[in-house]
Amino acid sequence: MIFHLPKEINHDDASFETFAYLYSQTKELAFDDIEINMEKTVWFAADMCAAFGAILYSLEKRLNTVNLTNISSDIKEILSKNGFLSRFGGVEISDQWGTTISYQQFDGKSDRDFVRYIENEFIYRSELPEMSTELLKKFSESISEIFINAILHSQTQMGIFSCGQFYPTKEQLDFTIVDLGIGIRKNIKDLRGLNLSPEKAIVWATEGNSTTKRGRLPGGLGLKLLCEFIDLNQGSIKIVSDAGYWKRENQQISTESLSNPFPGTIVSIEINTADTNIYSLSST
Amino acid sequence: MPESIKVSVFGIVGSPLCVASSDGQEVYERLNAAFEANRKVTLSFHNVTALTSAFLNAAIGQLYGTFSEDKIRSSLEMENMEKDDEDLLERVVENAKLYFKDPERFNQAIQETLNDEV
Repeated sequence: MIFHLPKEINHDDASFETFAYLYSQTKELAFDDIEINMEKTVWFAADMCAAFGAILYSLEKRLNTVNLTNISSDIKEILSKNGFLSRFGGVEISDQWGTTISYQQFDGKSDRDFVRYIENEFIYRSELPEMSTELLKKFSESISEIFINAILHSQTQMGIFSCGQFYPTKEQLDFTIVDLGIGIRKNIKDLRGLNLSPEKAIVWATEGNSTTKRGRLPGGLGLKLLCEFIDLNQGSIKIVSDAGYWKRENQQISTESLSNPFPGTIVSIEINTADTNIYSLSST
Repeated sequence: MPESIKVSVFGIVGSPLCVASSDGQEVYERLNAAFEANRKVTLSFHNVTALTSAFLNAAIGQLYGTFSEDKIRSSLEMENMEKDDEDLLERVVENAKLYFKDPERFNQAIQETLNDEV
């Protein structure tokens, strides 16, 4: 089959719809040839490689052969710099300006590998745009909270995918983490017995004290802390899980329902890298 | 025998980034063993540059399911913690105390809140 990507891929509801639709059109395929035609695509937000790569991985897992065709030279360059295309027959090229955060795939037990990824991509990289020590710390903690949440809650057997991109002129850092797990809605239903819509399930998970853990380990703070940081930083966070889409920006929440479910959870954040706030979390 | 055992978080994790729940579990196991032996612990965060709630839930929050608050307060002292990390720990401890007080009803308030939102 041939699937055409649209003109732009951003981390927004339209592009999340695109990847959910791609999944819906291909989820039954096995041992097939699938062409992803990018002829119309003139912009690809690099952090969305995490969502794109997750879907392509699930296709290849079912022994489909995936070919990415007609990629523009600009997009080919950025997707080669972050290592994405090398997973699909391309080559990795050096990142002269140091603006890419590499595309990576982790298994569900690789939290220590993720720590090394943060160290290598952020802590020990001098070419990245300058961020305050406070911001770098909060950013590292925040993406770690997302990753650990994915490990603890998604029950994924197919991994966790991440990718990021700096935009120096916009003083913005985008980072996306995707898991191909059971999704927030099913997790809450299975463990708390709550039958919520996909959007309400995300709202529930982002409130404090909303752990789905049982037994000896308390939890449930991670996404709430992330939201507090994003508010102070004046950034934004978007979450897709199942057919739910949730966005928080300027302390305002909006939700909508996607036409097709995404097979897992996407967490996408935009960080204002010029932020010089001193972070101190208030007690609830 | 020293009054208080010093435990280095960096030494256990082997990284300045203390983010993984599994790493927090290792810290918990040392604290648990020390408390069961009625030893006091000074937990050093020297050289730690990032902490998550997941790490602290496993390392310290979990203690509240095993030991009384009085026992933990009298046996555990933190050292070299940055202010924002102290704030995070306070949140984690509040959360853990609520969780272990009544785990089954932990989410009731949230569920009620949901009915009024979105």
